[in-house]
Amino acid sequence: MDAAIHTEDLTLSFGAEKALDGLTFDVNAGEVVALLGPNGAGKTTTVRLLNGLLDPDGGSSRVLGLDPATEGHKVRGRTGVMTEQSGLDERLTARENVVFTARMRGLSATAAGKHADELLERFGIADRANHRVQGFSTGQRKRVALARALLHDPEILFLDEPTAGLDPEATRDVLDLLANLAAEHGRTVLLCTHFLGEAGRLCQRMAVLHRGRLRAFGRPDDLAANIWRGVPVELDLGAPADERTLQALRAARGVIKVESTPTGARVDVEERAALPPLVASLVQMEVPVFGAVPRPPTVEEIYFAIQEGAE
Amino acid sequence: MTAPTTPGRTDAIRAIAAKDFTAVRRSKGVIIPMLIVPFLLLVVLPLGVGLAARNAHPPDVSNMVRSLPGGLATPILHLPPRERLVTLVDGYLLAPLFLIVPLMLAAVLAADAFAGEKERKTLEILLHQPVPDRDLFFAKLLSAFIPAVAISWIGFACFAVVVDVTAWPVTHHLLVPSKLWLVVIFWVAPAVATLGLGVMVRVSARATSTQEANQLGGAVILPLIFLAVGQSTGLLLVTLPVAVGIGAGVWLIALWLVARGARRFTRDRMSRTI
Ligand SMILES: Nc1ncnc2c1ncn2[C@@H]1O[C@H](COP(=O)(O)OP(=O)(O)O)[C@@H](O)[C@H]1O
Ligand SMILES: [Mg+2]
Repeated sequence: MDAAIHTEDLTLSFGAEKALDGLTFDVNAGEVVALLGPNGAGKTTTVRLLNGLLDPDGGSSRVLGLDPATEGHKVRGRTGVMTEQSGLDERLTARENVVFTARMRGLSATAAGKHADELLERFGIADRANHRVQGFSTGQRKRVALARALLHDPEILFLDEPTAGLDPEATRDVLDLLANLAAEHGRTVLLCTHFLGEAGRLCQRMAVLHRGRLRAFGRPDDLAANIWRGVPVELDLGAPADERTLQALRAARGVIKVESTPTGARVDVEERAALPPLVASLVQMEVPVFGAVPRPPTVEEIYFAIQEGAE
Repeated sequence: MTAPTTPGRTDAIRAIAAKDFTAVRRSKGVIIPMLIVPFLLLVVLPLGVGLAARNAHPPDVSNMVRSLPGGLATPILHLPPRERLVTLVDGYLLAPLFLIVPLMLAAVLAADAFAGEKERKTLEILLHQPVPDRDLFFAKLLSAFIPAVAISWIGFACFAVVVDVTAWPVTHHLLVPSKLWLVVIFWVAPAVATLGLGVMVRVSARATSTQEANQLGGAVILPLIFLAVGQSTGLLLVTLPVAVGIGAGVWLIALWLVARGARRFTRDRMSRTI
């Protein structure tokens, strides 16, 4: 499969500080990859390098088969970016902002207007299209910014902290939009975020950055498998497991690890098949079992485990 | 590195310049101070002078004229006393002062076009568009240069009307435009506007806000303005050849500054300042 993005040992410093230190990763065509990391990890720097805004100090990258450092112009013609700051001119209306970008991208005035209207409509902001952006909420701005990023139907969409500064409702709305976009055929998305929920919801693979270095890269369950052995199971016993129960669990076959939780216990078993006998033995001990659910670790848990390893 | 300008590229340049123009027109904080100076200098001042000249006893400027250096005194002293004031002020003194208008307009507009993008946090997304560095720079220059020169010319047209209407009963001939004024308007004014741009491009590269750019730029441009005011009382810019020469000198410095600015205007450099 063609890599839409491929970087090799990409490095960039601001003065003495290495913002990106030997990043090697790739994004397949049509794939959604999350670039995860706390503030200052190097996410925005990566997006800028991949679009030829910054010249790398070392390493190389290919975006759609082009080298952004020397063919940035061509790359930018085929990528769309939603920057962290929406970057709209407050003195222009929503529609004017989108049309302006369309004109810069070489669309005729008529085509630009038509496209802008369609996208603003699609993102539910048509009724505000002719209002100046000045009075817009952050959520409304994100929608306009997203419309602008998509207007030339880019092959790769870069989303830099798309939900930063949004309230929960606006976050959900924007994530719904993004989920729809990600599902569109053939669209490659690089999603930079420090919100794990949105990564978990949208991405197929995640790259965890920490102080400019890649700490982990892969599918969430593969990463989890590297970190944890076995299948974690949530046991709902209605109350924290008592010592007798914990001991019985530890003694059971196929159990790797047991932890008490407020509603019961968390048990790591070697495989799913170990679960039914485990539950049966609890029932025999007359321990009430309300539920036993194999639960893969959340993106949060994976992320924090990786970050802890990185510290 | 001058690739041929394809239609797509001129479109982008035009789109950027047009957008900047629309946006500036809507910023009262930029537009009002920008229009007040030309209004005072090009309408209120000549109106006052013209009305004073129509007085039965206009202020006598012959003593002042006699004390002036250069060859200006003779032609003015040859005029009938009533015509001396308007001719001196409207025909000569205001010409260097007028140059404040394109200088200031270009500086204010350039600060908005260059540093303003940073301040408004719109620079990053602009850099993400497929517009070559050179075109981006050129578009930004034009978006300041064209309105600065256009407003200066419109201001001059207003000035000419005010001068000629008020002075006609005194002089019975058109004072403006004279040859000197034409050189100032079409040769020196665009040069001075370009100089203002060159200075602001330089300071905007460092400044993070329009205000900071204006302060830094003001530190360079204000002395130039004082120089213009000084010149206008010292009456150096009186003869045609001097005006043409000064224009040429300003063009040289201005174009050098702009060319330097263009070389330094790269995405990598810009991206490191945001
Ligand atoms: N223009 C700049 N000048 C100096 N340092 C910068 C600049 N941009 C980013 N950095 C530094 O580079 C590192 C990575 O920044 P960034 O890529 O913006 O991180 P993220 O987007 O993950 O929050 C940070 O330590 C940041 O301080
Ligand atoms: Mg960032």
